[in-house]
Amino acid sequence: MPVADLVSELSIDPDSSQFRLASGWLERAGRELGIPTEQIARLDVCLNEVLANVLDHGGASARSAPIGLRLARKRDPDGADATLTVTDAGTAFDPLAVLPRSRPQTLAEATPGGLGLVMLRANADSLSYVYAEGRNRLTFGVRWSGLQCSTQDPPSVR
Amino acid sequence: MPIDISDVNEKLRRITLTGRLDVPGTEAIVIKFAAAATAGGRRVVVDLTAVSFLGSIGIRALISNAKAAQSNGERMVLFIGGNETVAKTLQTTGIDALIPMFADATEAEKAALN
Repeated sequence: MPVADLVSELSIDPDSSQFRLASGWLERAGRELGIPTEQIARLDVCLNEVLANVLDHGGASARSAPIGLRLARKRDPDGADATLTVTDAGTAFDPLAVLPRSRPQTLAEATPGGLGLVMLRANADSLSYVYAEGRNRLTFGVRWSGLQCSTQDPPSVR
Repeated sequence: MPIDISDVNEKLRRITLTGRLDVPGTEAIVIKFAAAATAGGRRVVVDLTAVSFLGSIGIRALISNAKAAQSNGERMVLFIGGNETVAKTLQTTGIDALIPMFADATEAEKAALN
């Protein structure tokens, strides 16, 4: 049976100057929740891509309300997982519905854009999206083995 | 996000980026990076060995500058040393197939001048 979630939350202004604040919070909160360093790094990649996407494509409404961040970690008999949920007031956008782009074969064919979703999919073990009460709610997660978490968990959750 | 520009000789320029190439980090250097990568009539080695984070905005800057160099008849290559974080990101996104990437500095310089 999974152990109850350990949770940390943060709210940031919808501005790129806040991205470092969010990454710093993720690193500190991740350590406190016993999330292995390499898994925090994967979440950090996803977080930065999601936040950039909110500001680039969320429209004026995305910049009208704070962005919510919620980090949760839980264990089960086989290991543990951590999920990070980003909520924003931008235009409804489901990144899971976007078809992956084909890779360019030459530099001349390469165009900017679309890489953020590639990196999100590559670094997340799970992805889910809902739009409710005027807010996008995107959750991405990472998972690791029981061996890793047995050496990384804080004493309070062993 | 520090950027250091060093002309090795009249044919080769080394651009060293340090720290996080995330949104704020890339925004801080993108204009200077583009100017350095495409001006001067030199081939370019971009040293990413001290980059601790590479986001898609940083990759877009690499692609844009490599394309601009190519359109000018020049060449830009990447030197990553033992930076596994950067290597993995470039491989995941397929950029290593578009912009030559080297773990060895001498090989990177040879490829840039080839």
